[in-house]
Amino acid sequence: MELLSQISFNLQNGFDETVAALTKEAVEKQIPPDEILNNGLIAGMNAVGEKFKNHEVFLPDVLLAARAMNSAMEVLKPLLIKGGIPIKGKVVIGSVKDDLHDIGKNLVAILLKGAGFEVIDLGNDVPAEKFIRIASEENADVIGMSALLTTTMPVMKEVVDMAKTEGLYGRVRIMVGGAPVSKEYALEIGADAYSYDGANAVETVESFFSKDS
Amino acid sequence: MRLIVDFAQEDIKLLQKEILRSQGIPDKAELSENFEKIYGEAIKLFQELAKPKGIITGVTISRFEEVFRGEGLNEKENPVEEIYRKSSYIALFAVTLGSVLSEKVTELFDNGDYADGYMLDSVSSYAADKLTYLAAKHLQSEIADKETPTSSQRVLCYCPGYCGWHISGQKKLFEALRPEEIGITLNESCLMSPIKSVSGVLIAGPGKIHEFVNSYPFCNTCTARTCIKRMQNLKQG
Repeated sequence: MELLSQISFNLQNGFDETVAALTKEAVEKQIPPDEILNNGLIAGMNAVGEKFKNHEVFLPDVLLAARAMNSAMEVLKPLLIKGGIPIKGKVVIGSVKDDLHDIGKNLVAILLKGAGFEVIDLGNDVPAEKFIRIASEENADVIGMSALLTTTMPVMKEVVDMAKTEGLYGRVRIMVGGAPVSKEYALEIGADAYSYDGANAVETVESFFSKDS
Repeated sequence: MRLIVDFAQEDIKLLQKEILRSQGIPDKAELSENFEKIYGEAIKLFQELAKPKGIITGVTISRFEEVFRGEGLNEKENPVEEIYRKSSYIALFAVTLGSVLSEKVTELFDNGDYADGYMLDSVSSYAADKLTYLAAKHLQSEIADKETPTSSQRVLCYCPGYCGWHISGQKKLFEALRPEEIGITLNESCLMSPIKSVSGVLIAGPGKIHEFVNSYPFCNTCTARTCIKRMQNLKQG
């Protein structure tokens, strides 16, 4: 099996140490970093994503693959930066102020990283102004917000409103999610999209970029 | 009546099929070796770290009326209001699995062990839900012994955030129950800490009082839909 296929295969099976070792080997063999990324790692994650959609594997399997992806990215990222290879897109993500639930947000962050996006995870209990400040400083493409309580959902609107006043609205896409959040609520507050789970969040962010291209 | 209960961990029956269902996994799904391993480790961690505890306080109907009114944000029509007025006994309750479990989930995610973190969180959420049934069962045995000696009493729980009871109702509930005594606190957004905690009211009465038609406007957006199974269980006795 050729090296990139081996990377993809081992990533699909969640063997993180093997994936990291094979990625190092590929670098040593002078395979271009973007080729390792696209034809090894992202190809593997896409295969896992497809199996997940078909109920052949489940979320823990996807998360193991994501961990393997991250371990390989530690090897690859400095080379991608050095080579000036553009990242797929930058997402600032967090659970809104006063909301301490972060499992759903963590899953979205992990899956977005696995799909090749750069993710800046602000954690939980994030005030509106922090989302805006970091998105602006980092020149982010997307802000992703999670809320698990009806009492914390209004912070999402604060972020949308602040994005308008700070001139980020339209340039930075805003995605919302969480148990009490709905497509209707997203529309009502002026967010660009609502996502109902991690896999859907990845599809949504991908769709922002395909619309932009 | 005010009780603090240390529940036996083995009384929380961790049923693999139900836990996997809560993750959206079909009953007949073939699980990978990795998956089975992660599941086994999560169960082991849960057994090491969970400290199930509860507090139950009996209240009068009129006292509960004040608690239920909360911040005045409940849905105008809701099933809880119909049910508690017909009850024979009401108790406020809160249960928790303790803070160590939640801390472990965070630690696993921070260390990049996402799958383990997710599985432990999932097992813990399921167990917290099961703990409410243990609290209901505990109250049922208490009132059967002392106050209402009838076997037809059914105790079911209702929680702020569901069935038209606004989440802000947690504030008055906490004032009346004072679950800080067992380490449960509430923040400004009405979020409990430790996260794997549940609070609400246990309502006792004949099974029939708990039956309602789930066609309230808010039922359309409810993702829990636990009322369906609970009412089925009532009919099955």
